Amino acid sequence: MRVGGNFQEKNLPIFLPVSKPAAPAVRAWLHGMIRRPIILTLTAWLACLAPTLAAGDGGHHSLPFNAPVLVDLGFFKITNSMVAMWLVAAVIIFFAQLATRRISLVPTGLQNLFETVVEGLQDFLATIMGEKLAKETFWFFGSIFIFIMCANWMGLFPMVGTVGHYLVDASGHHHSWVPWLRGANADLNMTLGLALVFFAMWLYWSVKANGPGGFLAHIFLYQGEGKGLMKAMLIVIFFLVGFLEIVSIMIRPLTLTFRLYGNIYAGESLLELMLFMGGKWFGWLAALPFYFLELMVGAIQALVFTLLTAVFTSLMCHHEEGDHGH
Amino acid sequence: MEPFLFLAETGAASGGLAEVAENLQKQFGIHGQLLFSQIVGFLVFAFLLKKFAFGPIQQMLEQRKLRIAEGEEKLKRIEKQLADSEATTAAAIAKANEEAVRLINEAKEGAHAFTEQKSQEAIAHAQQILAKAEAAAQAERAQISAELKREFGRLVAATTAQVTGKVLTADDQKRINEEALAKVEG
Repeated sequence: MRVGGNFQEKNLPIFLPVSKPAAPAVRAWLHGMIRRPIILTLTAWLACLAPTLAAGDGGHHSLPFNAPVLVDLGFFKITNSMVAMWLVAAVIIFFAQLATRRISLVPTGLQNLFETVVEGLQDFLATIMGEKLAKETFWFFGSIFIFIMCANWMGLFPMVGTVGHYLVDASGHHHSWVPWLRGANADLNMTLGLALVFFAMWLYWSVKANGPGGFLAHIFLYQGEGKGLMKAMLIVIFFLVGFLEIVSIMIRPLTLTFRLYGNIYAGESLLELMLFMGGKWFGWLAALPFYFLELMVGAIQALVFTLLTAVFTSLMCHHEEGDHGH
Repeated sequence: MEPFLFLAETGAASGGLAEVAENLQKQFGIHGQLLFSQIVGFLVFAFLLKKFAFGPIQQMLEQRKLRIAEGEEKLKRIEKQLADSEATTAAAIAKANEEAVRLINEAKEGAHAFTEQKSQEAIAHAQQILAKAEAAAQAERAQISAELKREFGRLVAATTAQVTGKVLTADDQKRINEEALAKVEG
């Protein structure tokens, strides 16, 4: 490594007396450590995992699939993921309001940041859906992307999943521990809700763009050119494929729901496991590499959800210029 | 329940879709009111984000795009105007140059004619002056000559009278004068 080489040449003699007989070995070892700091980090990380691995997993409780209810008023329940969602939404809305309160033609500070995000996202969506459709539907796709990404990243904050209270049963025993916050997307209600909102909007946009007849024609009818027997066969095939398309469309919300939920739930479980495996004092170190991984996963999953929903919408609603058929 | 156990259970219960759905509902805590709350929560969030962020920012981006387009349009117009103006100025300068050259030529020609005229006038005037001066000089010379002759005659007559001691008549004086003058002029 270039940096290590420079360090070795310039600074090492100050710390290592060359007159001692053991110096070359020590120096070689140190050189290696200086050159490859990642090895040092990994060694420390594995070292802190070792005692826990040896001790087994007794006492560890896994993250529940469902979000625990914090407040139950009978007709209205509040889960910890719902609180997290409100919190994320409130923070985003607060900063959005702050950014656009004194909006000006020459952007500064937060306005710059928000404009960059909005413009970047809109341009990105325009490459998939075309400029007109991207503008019309941006309120949804922009909200989805920003919300999912921020909610995923919020799940990585300290106190999320680690601060809570014990439920005490009638006999006074601690029944179970309930964290006050949980990653909003680690709750199937949330991801299913997002997918259902998308499905409803997709249906609306599709019917709006094609008309009810056009919507069905888009799915069942053969729109290409052809003659004679070949055309007749294609018409039959396309009609039958239309039913498969219907099944595919119906499955989309489910795949969207479980993909997002699964990734975020798995990420939270992984972090929790690593924190546990690292023990009382080194849990943070064991989990540290996975925090970087989860940062990436959080952004990638937001992008995947947005990209897929945008592509589904584009397939149904976006027609290239001059293409008036389907 | 552990995840794998749940999956096995779900697989075993695959006899009915309703059972799977029920298992999913129980296992993942899907609840109508929670689902509805999350949906409403997200829609409210999307609405507020559109109102406070996307709306104003999209409007601003559109406005900025329009401004830039207008600016570009203005720039093009200004460039065109500048080119037109430069062409007009160049044409005006060329025309002015032509006019100036014509005027200079005319002035030169006028000046030349005027100079010629004035020179001729001056020459004529000088000639007149010379002629007058010559005439005056001749007249003066004639007058002086006459006076000299008269004086010379008087002196010759006076000298002759003193030398001879006799009184000279007018004829004598006239004859002596003429002889003396003839000798002086001869």
